[in-house]
This record gives sequence, C-alpha cells and structure tokens, in this order.
Amino acid sequence: MAEYTKPIPSPDPVSQPFWDGAKEGKLMLPRCSDCNRVHWYPRVICPFCHSMNIDWIEATGRGTIHTFAVQHNRGLVARGWGDEVPYVTAYIDLAEGDRMLTVLKGVDPNDPESIKIGGAVEIEFEEASEDVHIPFWRPV
Amino acid sequence: MPGEASKAAAIIGAAEANDIGYPATPKSSLTLHIEAINNVCEMTGIPIAAIDGIFSAGWSPQLAEYLGLHPKYIDTTSVGGCSFEMHVHHALAAIHAGVINVALVSHGEMGFSQRFTGGKGTGRPFGGGDPWDPGTQHTSAYGLGGAPTGYSHAMNRHMHRYGTTQEDFAEIAVVTREWATLNPRAVMYRKAGEGDLPALEQGEWGGGKRGHTFGGPITVDTVMNSRAISWPIKLLDVCLVTDHGGAVLIAGPEIASTSKTPPVWIAGAGESISHWNMLEMNDFTETSAGRSASAAYRMAGMGPEDMEMAMIYDSFTVTAGMTAEMLGLARPGEGPSLWKDRHAAPGGRLPINTNGGGLSFNHSGMYGMQLLVEAYRQLSGTAEDDGFSGDPGKQTSARSCVVNGTGGTLSTTGTLVLTSD
Repeated sequence: MAEYTKPIPSPDPVSQPFWDGAKEGKLMLPRCSDCNRVHWYPRVICPFCHSMNIDWIEATGRGTIHTFAVQHNRGLVARGWGDEVPYVTAYIDLAEGDRMLTVLKGVDPNDPESIKIGGAVEIEFEEASEDVHIPFWRPV
Repeated sequence: MPGEASKAAAIIGAAEANDIGYPATPKSSLTLHIEAINNVCEMTGIPIAAIDGIFSAGWSPQLAEYLGLHPKYIDTTSVGGCSFEMHVHHALAAIHAGVINVALVSHGEMGFSQRFTGGKGTGRPFGGGDPWDPGTQHTSAYGLGGAPTGYSHAMNRHMHRYGTTQEDFAEIAVVTREWATLNPRAVMYRKAGEGDLPALEQGEWGGGKRGHTFGGPITVDTVMNSRAISWPIKLLDVCLVTDHGGAVLIAGPEIASTSKTPPVWIAGAGESISHWNMLEMNDFTETSAGRSASAAYRMAGMGPEDMEMAMIYDSFTVTAGMTAEMLGLARPGEGPSLWKDRHAAPGGRLPINTNGGGLSFNHSGMYGMQLLVEAYRQLSGTAEDDGFSGDPGKQTSARSCVVNGTGGTLSTTGTLVLTSD
C-alpha cells in the first residue's frame, strides 16, 4: 500500500463502532433507541431527544449531495490535500438521516456545473492505515 | 414596547489603533489593543482607571494586567468575529444589573503582520487541537482549512435553492469597494483618477492617503475574473487580512452625559448559535442571525423597516447577502439584490458597510470590532474623514443601525440595534 499522506482521523471510544465498520466496508451509524433517529457525528447522547440509549445500525451507504465546493487553493487545505487541488468537497445527506462531510470521487472538479446537488451517491472506503479506513462518496 | 434593558447603556466612544491595515512597521496585537484603548479614553474623557469591566475575545486577563486594572467583570467570550457584538450585549446586561459602570470592549489583531513576525494573530480554537473532538475527527480527513473552504458550500446551496448567481454576489463586492473608495482609512481606498500606482514589494504598504496599488473601483467582471479560491468563491468574494485595533466604551446614561462624545444607545441586543462545525449546520442558506436579530429587534421595540443603515459582517460576499435576509432587510433569496439595485450603495436608501467592509476596508481575522467602530462613527457624527455626503466623515445621516457579526463558519451571530439621539 502506498503511504497515505493526508490527515488520518483518530478514533475515540465513542466513535469506535463506526471505524470498526469502516474496516469491513460497512457504514455504521448511531441511532437513538428511544426516538429512532439517526445522528451524525456519533454522540453519547441523542441530540434530538437527549436519550442516552444509543445503538448502531448498518446503513445502506446511499445518500444525495446536499451541497459541494471545489477546493482550488492549496494553501487553505490540509497537508497532503494541497497536492490534489482542485478537488471537490461535499456534504452528503444520508439515506437514513443527517449529514456527512466528504470528498467526492469520480467527478470533474474543473466542471462544477456537471456535479448535481441532489444527485445520488454511494459510499466507499479507503485504507489510510491498518486501523482507519476513511469514507468517501461517488456518484452512482 | 421596548424591553427593560433597552437603552440601559450606550456606546459612548469608539476608536481605533494608530496604524491599521498594512502598517509599515508591525505592532503586536497587544499594542494594537492598548493604542485603541488609550484613544477611546482620550476621545471620551473617561480615564482608563474608570474601566471596571473588560470584554474581549480572549485577552481580558492580559489587558487587565497590562493596564494595572482590577475589573469587577471579566468576559473573554471568543466565538469568532461576532464576539464583539456579544460583548456589547453582555456589557449592557452587566450595566443594567448594576454590576459595573464602565465597560471596555477591546480588540487587537495583527492578522497581516503576523506573517512577518512568525507569530499568530489571535487564532481560533477550532476543535481545540483535540484529535478526539468529534468535529475534528469526522471532518479533518477531507482537508478543509481556511474559512473560504467552508463558506463556499453555503454559497453553492444558496445558488441552488434560490437561483442566485455568482454575478449577484459579485455585486456585493463591487458596491462595498465603492464605499472603500470614499474612506482613506480603507486598505482598498484609492483616489479616483489617480491612474496606476507603482506596484509595491510584498509587505510594503503605500500607506496613508495614497491608497493601495490594488485599490480603487472594481466591476462584476473584475470579481468574476479573479482567481478561484473555493468554487464558487473567488478571490474578490473574500475579505482582507489586515491589522486592526479597536475599542469602545459602554456606560449608563449618567456617565454617558459626562462623555466628550455623544452616546449611541444600545436599543436592542441578541445573540445565538446554530452550530460550531459546519458539519452540524442544518440549513446552509440560513444563519442564527434570524434568532439573534429577532431578540435584538424585540428588545428595541423596532423592526428592520426602522433601520436607516446596516453594518453586516462581510467575511465573504455570501455572508453579507445571506445575513441581510436573516436580518429582515431583504426577502429570503433576495439579499444580494440590496447591492445589485444599489439600495446599499452610496446615496441608496439603506447604506450597508459604509466603511468599505471586511471586503475592502479592513479585516483582521475577527471583524466584529470594525463593525462597532463604524456604526458609532456614523450614528454619533464623530467620523473624521471626507465622505460621500460632503460632511466631514459622515457617509449617512442615519440615526438607527442594525449591526450583525457572524463567527466561526456561519456558526454564531450577535446582533445589535443602535440608535442616536
């Protein structure tokens, strides 16, 4: 595996089930056992009803593009990403609810008009290290 | 019916540091604070020793120590560029409650010069450096960093939802630059008809009345042809990075009557937050200014229709356009039209960002203080430079102003309704 040069997140005990799922190519999401709503990012308390009964579900890995931008300025982005400008960042509305930030794969950053808000996307995972596989999304 | 705290206190003076913008010789952020504090105390005739409450974005203990003060109220609220509007809100409450008599709100930030000194301006605690911070953990992998990389997502969503265009937002930059051409203190000031100025070396500053080599009027085409930063945001959609120091004094009616400069009353104040990390922003076309403005208007017993000018944090063109909608000055989706139709321009019915804004006047990293100083200068009549109206320093004859700061990534807002006698 080529060395991964971009930032690698640090899993913590609250989010560990998500990162465990990512290693297996599964999108695991936290869901409140009381109000049944999915939230993102993972929390020890439901941000909607304040219950502390949180479970994890395996999600479909499907979503839609809520909004996106094209990063052109290497000085404004993190180490490693500067070499990849222009690239497309996006917020994804998850099929199960709530929203994730990502980098869109399989799109043309030089033709932003060709990228559709509302367009369907699906998740994939990239192995950044043995313990951390990072979710990315691409148009279906 | 105004709320109980309405006009319990006034801004009784507002001043800046001696050198702002791109100073030839860098001064520390602390020195920028102190110069402004000294200037506002000289202006009002209120001695520094009378200050018994200190409000700043993280600097209050250091300011107290440096000045040898022992304040009774110490507030270090630091939630981005709107912190200073929140400080005014907090100072109003503290004075209304009888806890303090004279509040200082202070700002100093060498946003430009830090690049030559190897230091930091004031910095913002995004994620606090904790790798387990959930916002950091679930966004850092994608490289977003500087503020434009986030705000561009909101601009794109606004365009998608309302059919606004990049050209619509460019109008905001064009009109704001026009205001800057009337303000010799503005970084992008340049006298009309002066022709091309010689290019400056990096770090060199033409200074004073000469203006900046990049200054002077711009057009929508200039904005559209400026280089892409974070599409759809281009260079001229983005605010400046400069040095600034500013300070205001706030006091109740009794002390206000002893000030050498007139009071500008805090008729209404409010603050709110919608998220801290943009990952948690629910609606990318709305900010918490809807809530903070509603609280401020309610306290004032006034509404957007009563505002004769507005000072709106314009970190980006999209920030100003969206916020105008949240303040009730334009209908949803129609914020940029205030500029496009020249209502916000010199001579318009609702002058906005009469100093030239964060886009073309000065933006040190946190711009909330610059909003306060300009609102005070216009409403109090203490502005000193030549202006549009021909009166010394006065760009408008407004007697009411809504001021809105925005902090973080469209995260936090503080709104004030200010009035003069």
